Amino acid sequence: MTDRILTVRMEAHPSDSHTIDRYVKTGGYKALRKALKKMKPEAVAAEVNASNIRGRGGAGFPMGVKWGFLGAAEPRYLVVNCDESEPGTFNDRQLVERDPHQLLEGIAISSYALGISRAFIYVRGEYARGARRLQRAIDEAKEAGYLGEDILSSGFSLDVTIHLGGGAYICGEETALLNSLEGRRGEPRLKPPFPAIAGLYAKPTIVNNVESISNVPWITLNGGLAYADIGPDRSAGTKMLSISGHINKPGNHEIVMGMTWRELIYDIGGGIRDGNELKAWIPGGASSPWFVPDKHLDTRVELDEVGANGSMIGAGAVVVMDETTNVVAAAHSIVRFFAHESCGQCTPCREGTSWMEDILARIMDGRGRPEDIDLLMDVSDNISPGLSWPPAMTTICPLGPSATAPVASIVRYFRDEIEAMMPNKEAANA
Amino acid sequence: MTAAANWEAGRRERAKTMLGAYPDRRSAIMPLLYLASLEYGHVTEQAMTDVAELVGVTPAQVQSVASFYTMFKREEVGKYLVSVCTSISCHLLGGDAVIDAVEDATGVERGRTGDDGTFSVERAECIGACGGAPAVQVNYETVEGLTPDKAKALVKWLADSQPEVVLADEMQQLFGGVRSFDWGPLESEGPVAAVPAFGPFGSAKEGR
Amino acid sequence: MPDTVSININGVAHDVEAGQRLIVAAESVGEVIPRFCHHDKLEPVGKCRMCLVEVEGPRGKVLMPSCTLLVSDGMVVDTESAVVKKAQEGVLEFLLINHPLDCPICDKGGECPLQDQTMQWGPGESRFVEAKRNFEKPIPVSDVVLLDRERCVLCDRCVRAADDIAGDPLLTFIDRGNHVQIQTFPNEPFSSYFSGNTVQLCPVGALTSVDYRFKARPWDLGHTRSVSFVDTVHSSVDAQTSRGKLVRVYGIENDRVNEGWLSDKDRFIFSAVHSPDRVTAPLVRGDDGFEEASWSDAMALVASRLGGYLGGEVGAIGGANNTNEEAYTLAKFMRSVVGSSNLDAQLGDGLNPHLAATVTPRATIDDLDRAATIFVWGPDLKETLPVLYLRVRKAVRNGATLVVASPAGTGLDAIAAHVVRYRAGSGSDVLRKFASGDKGYEGAREALDAGPVVGLVGRSSLAEDPMMAEAAAGVVRSLPDSKLLTLLTRANIYGALDMGLAPNLLPGRVSTADDEHAEMLEDAWGHLPRGTGRSTTQMLEDLASGAMRAMVLVGADPVRDCPDPGLAQRALEAAEFVVAFDAFVTDSSIHADVILPAAVWGEVSGTATNLEGRVQEVNASVRPAGQARSLNAALDDIAHLMGVDLRAAKVADVTREIAAVAPAYAGITPDHLTFESDGDGVIVPLEGEQPLKFIPVEVSVPVVTSRLTLHFPDALYDDGVWNRNAPTIAGLARQAEARLHPRDASMLPVHEGDIVSIEERFVMPVTLDDTVPVGSIVVPRNVVGTKGLTASTSVKVEAVEGGA
Ligand SMILES: Cc1cc2nc3c(=O)[nH]c(=O)nc-3n(C[C@H](O)[C@H](O)[C@H](O)COP(=O)(O)O)c2cc1C
Ligand code: SF4
Ligand code: FES
Repeated sequence: MTDRILTVRMEAHPSDSHTIDRYVKTGGYKALRKALKKMKPEAVAAEVNASNIRGRGGAGFPMGVKWGFLGAAEPRYLVVNCDESEPGTFNDRQLVERDPHQLLEGIAISSYALGISRAFIYVRGEYARGARRLQRAIDEAKEAGYLGEDILSSGFSLDVTIHLGGGAYICGEETALLNSLEGRRGEPRLKPPFPAIAGLYAKPTIVNNVESISNVPWITLNGGLAYADIGPDRSAGTKMLSISGHINKPGNHEIVMGMTWRELIYDIGGGIRDGNELKAWIPGGASSPWFVPDKHLDTRVELDEVGANGSMIGAGAVVVMDETTNVVAAAHSIVRFFAHESCGQCTPCREGTSWMEDILARIMDGRGRPEDIDLLMDVSDNISPGLSWPPAMTTICPLGPSATAPVASIVRYFRDEIEAMMPNKEAANA
Repeated sequence: MTAAANWEAGRRERAKTMLGAYPDRRSAIMPLLYLASLEYGHVTEQAMTDVAELVGVTPAQVQSVASFYTMFKREEVGKYLVSVCTSISCHLLGGDAVIDAVEDATGVERGRTGDDGTFSVERAECIGACGGAPAVQVNYETVEGLTPDKAKALVKWLADSQPEVVLADEMQQLFGGVRSFDWGPLESEGPVAAVPAFGPFGSAKEGR
Repeated sequence: MPDTVSININGVAHDVEAGQRLIVAAESVGEVIPRFCHHDKLEPVGKCRMCLVEVEGPRGKVLMPSCTLLVSDGMVVDTESAVVKKAQEGVLEFLLINHPLDCPICDKGGECPLQDQTMQWGPGESRFVEAKRNFEKPIPVSDVVLLDRERCVLCDRCVRAADDIAGDPLLTFIDRGNHVQIQTFPNEPFSSYFSGNTVQLCPVGALTSVDYRFKARPWDLGHTRSVSFVDTVHSSVDAQTSRGKLVRVYGIENDRVNEGWLSDKDRFIFSAVHSPDRVTAPLVRGDDGFEEASWSDAMALVASRLGGYLGGEVGAIGGANNTNEEAYTLAKFMRSVVGSSNLDAQLGDGLNPHLAATVTPRATIDDLDRAATIFVWGPDLKETLPVLYLRVRKAVRNGATLVVASPAGTGLDAIAAHVVRYRAGSGSDVLRKFASGDKGYEGAREALDAGPVVGLVGRSSLAEDPMMAEAAAGVVRSLPDSKLLTLLTRANIYGALDMGLAPNLLPGRVSTADDEHAEMLEDAWGHLPRGTGRSTTQMLEDLASGAMRAMVLVGADPVRDCPDPGLAQRALEAAEFVVAFDAFVTDSSIHADVILPAAVWGEVSGTATNLEGRVQEVNASVRPAGQARSLNAALDDIAHLMGVDLRAAKVADVTREIAAVAPAYAGITPDHLTFESDGDGVIVPLEGEQPLKFIPVEVSVPVVTSRLTLHFPDALYDDGVWNRNAPTIAGLARQAEARLHPRDASMLPVHEGDIVSIEERFVMPVTLDDTVPVGSIVVPRNVVGTKGLTASTSVKVEAVEGGA
């Protein structure tokens, strides 16, 4: 059974997997040829739909269903989301630096399937190296006739443009990304309308993640059903997980979902550094609620099961924390991140995230007050009422509620540690 | 006549390409801001006015966009911009000690630029190098697996050798440690690339 | 009848209009949901999150912003649940943590939505112990608006108003997250003609106007609804007073007219009412110039002098700045007491009164909302009728196609689908091409063929032949589904024409040639000279030549405003007797033998008629300055001295008389205006169309080649007596400049900033502008440094040595 799709080439050919020569020698652009020569656009889309692949950018929305929503108005656009900025994630970075043609082939096939002739790749500005590799790959692919005018003499043409971000996590949110691509502030838009109906320049637009699109060549070559066969039903295919933190084997690991977290952390990840105890881990990037060994080690790495346990796989960033972790400091780092990255348009997010950052900083400084824990929870509740999963929101986008995840997690699992950081009352009165 | 007409010739050409690269000129604001900051060293008022003229919006609208993003620096930036990540994975593995070390070695506080214009130091949020935490970027070129000592050595090396072009591979070989993944071969061309509009601040050669 | 949907709010079912936002629908049935960023006239942004309510969805109740959500049939809404209350309290607390508690010294204190909503929905106490955000105290964002960033709640109202409504994106957000603030670009102030609207929109005291700061507290303000007299749109205003003085003017949401918006001139000109330069007592010319006199002495003098001429020897110019009642009284006085038909409210700067007063089919302002195509042939709306400019912008935003024809760039060009540029004077040629869809004009022609069309026609500048507007109107009328608005700009000029202040019109839009009506009027008035009188230009010529002998000037300044200022000057100097009803000593009234102090806008009550024929109430909010009096009261007294009872002492009597004798105004009683129109006014005539026919004319004005063709358009901030006397905007008066096409400039040769002379007398700097057609020169008319320049078709332009 196939257990890896995306990383096979880069592992086998570390020295040149990013070049077009190597790509073509290892079967690259065959899928594009197949699609253009032998398949109708709808047939390609049908394979993607049959694959059951769910978007890899975080929300896990079925890709085929999203494609089905694409409006009929012309022109239409494909926008590939390579803004990857969620703390803990670095898998898209590897995909664009090490196998950019796989992404480009996916873009070409997807655009053909969707009747699109203009695609943009939004690459976060800090990924200068990835953007360079991608641009070189675009130039190579054009030269070789895989992009540009009349691709492989099929009459299908596609123009791919890289747009560099400017350092703003929120631009990973698809509508903020579109605003940014339009030369505006990266503020999320109100939905509806959804991008598939009115996206870039108010035209029908599909936004997909780098990893999602990178799977398209394989699906086209091998068929959607073959993809759907990999892994559990509702978590089909492989997933690249970025594992980091207090772990022995940090890095990107392409896995088939369905294993337990224990297997992931101890087998794939090689266990905790220095033989330490596992204290907690973040299963899906900074915005996901934390998991703890007691409760979650033997649950499975599957989209829906993680959801049922009150968190998410998100973009696939697993951050492991061992017994030495100061959870307040860790939560503070995450909350500070969200406060820094809030676009600032919603009152609760703009004001609430920085308020929580201040409170956590005060507690770390030894200036916490006993009532601060309830206050933190109440501020969180005012951003994400009920602190339930999936999160309710008083905000436009999920960034604000994301900032409540670490706060609620440490209060839920490590309340005593927070309390221990409060100055004791006698000392305060003295 | 626009002030951008006085830009260096190659950049004028690139500006034209950028304006033509999108269905709507306004989309070129961000790439043009990168270009303008190469022209002026950072995103100056003149830079924003130029971009506004090129795109056909008001300078206030360009300012509104520019100020939203952390990479458009509206104040002077040193030859080497050292961005130290302290987001969660880097935080867990000592990023805060690394930024202290960088401040120490450069004599520049985070958020500031040194008087001699060599270094700017900033705290960065996650730079996508969590597997190689703690990580820093110099002019947006990544080095992974640092320690406070190695970070100090990196700073000293930059100060002493003053490379005109900062190369991730070179820095990683000299000062780096664990990486997020196998980076593959050394980048032969360095940061000179065809990516529209991109050129890091300070030192690196420009893309075409 | 709009479609309705049924929604359930807090357990009660309501039928509400479909297609609305929930917050609006709820309010329409009495459920007020708190809000900050929502504003009826702005696109929803859903940013403040104050308006969250719970809406039943497939997965249970979900919190949603009611300002962005469209109502749908069967929608079930809870605006009072515990979750909603908690969310609203949370938002208020978030807004307050960084808000300074300086309400006692804040201009908004007492009328502040944040203050009010905190009382009603807010948390009791502050749990915020961190340091508040801190900003430098108020920074001026323009000459008239100040910004306190600490107080700002980032609701985006001002930014949307500046960008979407006014089209001046000069005020924007900068930075991100908790650092977001409103800002302008350094050295590029928010110099919008509409900046004052942001002060009124701001839900807190972040944006305040320079002139109102610390002036009054909301609870001791008096309020009077009236209409602005700055131009012929007649925007509805709330004139606010404190201790007997006007202190602030706010826009009222009259959706038919101004939708709440005002131009800054509408908003800030009121201070001229309290100018120390007002004429506050009758002035009679003595040996050493003007001397104060009593009203009775001054009026006796006027009565005896006017009584000493034959009717035709006397004329009256003006009346456009007065109420309908004043204008009517003046028309009645001149015709029935003095016995003269020489009366004209226009100064040779307008249109044929027939076209202006009786054009059909006449559009309403809100017809613009229904137009597929809008065609503008006339003055730059942004400069002359700024609120109409906003309405056109709105229509275009909502999909209308705009065609603009003008001799130079206008404020609307940026949003026009077709801009037709013609050299001043050669309009007829262009109009013909355009009408027949010649090469290069096909697009515009095609747009015109896609009705409904609203044509806005007027005179692009004083240098343009008024017949051009008639020809343009003719083109519009030839389109099957079209309506017209004419573009006269001065205050109540339409009311004045309707009241018969035109040589060829009787009150009620009736031609002087209509004998039947004239007979009826003669019965009512006792006396009525027949036939057509003289226009302003003719009167000035006849005065200068001695064919006429006396002049009544009513708030008019022909020396500044008529096309040939030199003629006006000579005429007034030659006149044997001039009486001026005026609030100021102007370049014209300075030639008077008697100046009677006139009460002005803000001091008089009555009605007025705007450019679409809408009659609205004008209400006094302060007492007249000094001994100033309304025109109808003064004329009533003078007529008595001349042995005639005008029955004009009481405004309501005059209004009723107008309704009785002026056909178009039949039925327009004070009661009707108060009760039937919600204060938003009514269009006259109440029913039916004007019977008068109008025949389009072909004109061709010779193109002069050896000199430059003058385009002489009005500017909003002018050097007129009102603008000069309103301190808030006086400094904004435009300076003379000559706009030239770069090609003409290089012929002279001159460069940007060099000095040129016009007609060897008027010197001004050059601005290069490639929207100016080759062969033309554009000079703003009514500004500092153009006083006395004749609006001739062509002018001599020379470079001035050693200029710049
Ligand atoms: C705050 C925020 C940040 C996000 N960042 C990213 C990102 O960096 N990359 C990404 O692919 N999707 C990101 N997403 C998800 C995108 O909005 C979108 O769902 C995704 O790009 C769709 O692609 P997919 O369907 O292929 O997953 C983010 C969402 C939110 C709310
Ligand atoms: S939740 Fe935060 S990041 Fe998202 S739109 Fe609102 S303010 Fe912006
Ligand atoms: S009024 Fe609805 S979010 Fe502001």
